[in-house]
Amino acid sequence: MNRWVSILVLSALASWARADEVFAKDIRPILQRYCYGCHGAEKQKGKLRLDTLDLNFDRGQSAERWHDALDQLNQGDMPPEDEPQLTAVEQAALTGWLTQRLKAAAEARRSTGGQGVMRRLTRYEYANTLRDLLGVKLDFAKDLPPEPASPDGFKNNGLALGMSAEQLEYYLAINRTALGKVIVEGDAPKVVKARVEKSSPIRRVKGVTGNTVVPGAQYLAKFDEFPREGTFRLRVHASAKVPKGAGLPRMRITIGVRADVQAPQETLVVADVKPGAQVLEFTGRIEDFPLPGHNPKYPGLLARITNEYDDGSGFIKRKPKKPKKGEKAPPPDPDLAKQPVIEITAVEFEGPLFEAWPPANHVALIGKPGEGNEESRAMTSLKRFMSRAYRRPVTPKETGAMFDLYRVIRKRSDSFEAAMRETLALVLATPDFLYLVEPAAAQRRALNDHELAARLSYFLWSTMPDATLIQLAEAGKLRAPKTLAAQVDRMLADPRSGQFVEHFTDQWLNLSGISRVAVNPQFHPKFNDALKVDMRRETQLFFAEILRTDASALQFLDADFAMLNRDLAKHYDLPQSDWPVGVAFERVTLKGNDRRGGLLTQGGILLANSDGEQSHPIRRAVWLLDRVLGTPPAPPPPDVPELDGNSPELRNLSIRQQMEVHREKAACANCHRDIDPWGIAFEEYDAVGRWRENWRANPKAKPQPVDALAKLADGTELTGIAGLKQHLLEHETDRFAAALTRKLLAYALGRSLEFSDDAAVSALTQRFEKGDYQLRALITGIVQSEDFLTK
Amino acid sequence: MANTFDLNRRTFLRGTGAALALPFMESLSHAKAAAELPRRMAFVYFPFGVALPKDGSPGAEWNWFPKAGKTAKDFQFRSVQKSLEPLRDEVTVMSGLSHPRCRSLGGHDTGDTWLTGHHLAAPTYSNTVSVDQLAAQHLGVSTRFPSLVLSSDGGVGEPTRSTTISFSRTGRPVPALASPKQIFAKLFGQTTDDQLARQRLNNTQSLLDLVLANSKSVRGKLGTRDQAKLDEYLDSVRDIEKRVEQSQRWLEIPKPRVEEKTLDLSATPKGPEEYIRVMYDLMYLAFQTDTTRLATYMIGQVAGATTIANSFPTAAGQQANWHGLAHGAGKKPEALGKFDQFLVAQLARFLTRLKDTREGEGTLLDRTMVLYGSSNSRTHNNNNYPLLLAGGRGLGLQHGQFQQYDAKTPFANVFVTMFDRMRLPIDRFADSTGGLDALVG
Repeated sequence: MNRWVSILVLSALASWARADEVFAKDIRPILQRYCYGCHGAEKQKGKLRLDTLDLNFDRGQSAERWHDALDQLNQGDMPPEDEPQLTAVEQAALTGWLTQRLKAAAEARRSTGGQGVMRRLTRYEYANTLRDLLGVKLDFAKDLPPEPASPDGFKNNGLALGMSAEQLEYYLAINRTALGKVIVEGDAPKVVKARVEKSSPIRRVKGVTGNTVVPGAQYLAKFDEFPREGTFRLRVHASAKVPKGAGLPRMRITIGVRADVQAPQETLVVADVKPGAQVLEFTGRIEDFPLPGHNPKYPGLLARITNEYDDGSGFIKRKPKKPKKGEKAPPPDPDLAKQPVIEITAVEFEGPLFEAWPPANHVALIGKPGEGNEESRAMTSLKRFMSRAYRRPVTPKETGAMFDLYRVIRKRSDSFEAAMRETLALVLATPDFLYLVEPAAAQRRALNDHELAARLSYFLWSTMPDATLIQLAEAGKLRAPKTLAAQVDRMLADPRSGQFVEHFTDQWLNLSGISRVAVNPQFHPKFNDALKVDMRRETQLFFAEILRTDASALQFLDADFAMLNRDLAKHYDLPQSDWPVGVAFERVTLKGNDRRGGLLTQGGILLANSDGEQSHPIRRAVWLLDRVLGTPPAPPPPDVPELDGNSPELRNLSIRQQMEVHREKAACANCHRDIDPWGIAFEEYDAVGRWRENWRANPKAKPQPVDALAKLADGTELTGIAGLKQHLLEHETDRFAAALTRKLLAYALGRSLEFSDDAAVSALTQRFEKGDYQLRALITGIVQSEDFLTK
Repeated sequence: MANTFDLNRRTFLRGTGAALALPFMESLSHAKAAAELPRRMAFVYFPFGVALPKDGSPGAEWNWFPKAGKTAKDFQFRSVQKSLEPLRDEVTVMSGLSHPRCRSLGGHDTGDTWLTGHHLAAPTYSNTVSVDQLAAQHLGVSTRFPSLVLSSDGGVGEPTRSTTISFSRTGRPVPALASPKQIFAKLFGQTTDDQLARQRLNNTQSLLDLVLANSKSVRGKLGTRDQAKLDEYLDSVRDIEKRVEQSQRWLEIPKPRVEEKTLDLSATPKGPEEYIRVMYDLMYLAFQTDTTRLATYMIGQVAGATTIANSFPTAAGQQANWHGLAHGAGKKPEALGKFDQFLVAQLARFLTRLKDTREGEGTLLDRTMVLYGSSNSRTHNNNNYPLLLAGGRGLGLQHGQFQQYDAKTPFANVFVTMFDRMRLPIDRFADSTGGLDALVG
């Protein structure tokens, strides 16, 4: 290990005393030689004196002055051109030291002393909670502003979750909409039932329409009458004809309006259709779809069914022309016979659906007419609703105050129902609902059982506690370690744990990056953007599978299976015999030459860390170091130029050679020597995650062989992904286990970890390693830990 | 006015919010009596800086700044600003300006500071009020919306990578709207049920009273950090109170009717040209109907690859990597220059629309000051901001010039001049040292 690397590592880990030693031994001599001449006892150019500048970065303005010095060094502005210049090693030592000290100081200042803060529900937690509290499935979060992520990548970090007047106004508006859906008035609405068999003939619709849907064609069902509110059900009577060697046809159902030029439609579902007659049933909220206006040019609701088999681009674009007189009809396209086809027999629509009137969720909130007078109904309702919404027992004073509010509102309202809608919507705008409040002074205290139930349910379900958790909390039994373990098992088996899988995987691995990369079609003409959704799903399902089967978490580094659907398997170039049949994901056993396995070869990871044209070894390396190994490199200093692959000097070099050129520049070398090799190992995969032997500088350039030989900073050589995986499994499992533990703990606690958490992290990591890297055991360990049980 | 609310009770509970409540009636009647035409400001920000090749070097024509002449009036637009030629007498290009306090920040950290001039410091990176929001506090009651805050990314983002350039009086980011449909609905959507809306406003107000009254006892049980979180909530509550009061007044007045068909509301950032155009169109309509007099639009945030705007350069035939273009601009100024040319053309279209619309004796542009620019110059340096001030001739601005300032002049002086032209009693902002005489005729 060369000197600057050792300095980096040491200063990150060492105590302040140790860091001061480093300063005296390695840093001060450099400053003395190059800087104190102008910024010392004799001269103070720019009013800056470095030799007496406070080394304690935590207090006063000294950190800012040091930061300034770092920028000047990084930009090459200091020392001035006509003065002696630092050697590359000295430059690295000095900037490395400054960067680490500044980072540590920033962390110390941000510290919450290991206590979580009163944390607002995230966008998705709020939406899930509203759904469970009110029993309405609507996309409530749609209109809320997006959430910022904390420096460690998590969106449920209490410090990062802010509040503003606008945000609160959104909550008020959404709450009102939601309550409007639940608390009904008047007679039961008319239920629309309709059945369409033959594809509706609609003039001026382009393309091929009919009951036989080949890829690119469509089936249309027009419903003249439809509800404007509530849940509806669509039943599709269909069968598939699947030629040998083809996959299942993929049915997409969209619902919306038939407009003049473009038809606004939203997708209800994408699903496989199997051979043989079947009835596929789907439900949705009609409000989530574009509906015709009240006096529309084209009345009626339109359901459109298409066949998106293969790349989704369709097979038939236009109706075949009618042959002219005397000419023979052209023979049918021979490829047509190879396409799977959907036969639609009928489509039935029914809505709004309700089992009784008023519906059960209405009754659950405010009871039935005749159950006492309005005021007693309001009081009963408030007591029940508030304790569920606040996730704890409420005091008579609290309910009393809200009841007074109800009385004021009732006077202004036309009906009891309207007043209750308003009152309950307002309950959901109080801090007690919007935040996880765990009132505590600076002193650490144990959480009470209700607070614990909430922490647990927001950790594993991203929503409010269910009846079982609440009962355990009320009985004071939840905190027993055995009970907690049993609850973790129960909760992970519940479908709601899908929320944990989705959000933790997304945030840990930064999967939202997938949708932010724009794939350049000139470089990747065959890439279909729909694959991005599949890729994100693949990584989430992979996590879910490891969790579900209690497999070793080391499978994240390399695995003998993958979760794939047909499109992904095809994209990954697996042998056709192994392709899943359709859009649904299946567990696929990998073979030695499949060149897949583990997170590192998943398309989403590779794509998110590319630039949409070329692979991006630096992004991939930073991702690996940050997300998988838990040691993110310092962010680049300002004014460091990006690698410009199109510049004449770099144009024909391989990416590895380009990076070598890059590293020759002193300004870049400092950090990149330690970063780049990790990314080189990914070079066998292109920007969209396909394996390759050759690469091209641009779509027209000559292919050149990929060079994936990486030399790590400590001298270790490894080749390609296989070499990288082997290295990780042989030498980095401790680092990986600690990193995953830290990420999971930070997510569970809703705060960034600090020095004071180190002991807990290492205890959990050890347990995790000894327990064969089982995620469930790690989660249980976290839930039983002091950190989780206290505030 | 048919509206009833108990002024004494409100004033009692309002606390810090008292400042705005009183002048409302006054200003409404005042506005009617004096019938003075509105004064407006718009601020449009773009990230990552511009290409600044030296004269004589290859690609010098792609330097963002015009070619200076002997006098300020005697300058030549280069390629980037070609589309402004017909508007030459409506714009002033300014070089050399920046926020002195923000020069030492990271190159990616200054988007938040463009309209505040505040030095962001760890750990909280707290900010101060932005120019538009400060003006809104003074103007707010005269329009339905005190201000319009837009960005391509939407929301607030995170400190130093905010997705809004507007900050409230307490320095909190004001969430930006990004969806043309949502913006249209907010500005011009016709709510038929005014009675219901009025009831809801009253109910909201009652809840806010309750929450504020309760907060005292709750607050005592919390540690300091939790208290800070609760205060953030309570501040939001107080802000809403003020809005509720305003909204109640505006309920009496119907929203202007704007034909939805004239706009491409389905545009998304995936089609940058259509999207940027409709964002400008919405600002134009908001001004034209006097729905607001203040607007900000952050075309892109500064977070490198993650801003939605990173792919916007495709609209000018460049690679989908704005950040990369900026870094490459030292060697290849043309690529970034072409995209900047496209952005300026969008601005020119907006200015032309304002200019083509009559208002009183002049045009809409005459009474609208538009500040366009970035907080980076060449590859993320935080000095010598590329800046362009347009419109407002009817308010006394003087144009058709290229003003080159030195680094001693704080950018905030531009704001002081603008406040002055808005007739707002604000003679200092951030580290300002006075107004800029050359901008005023």
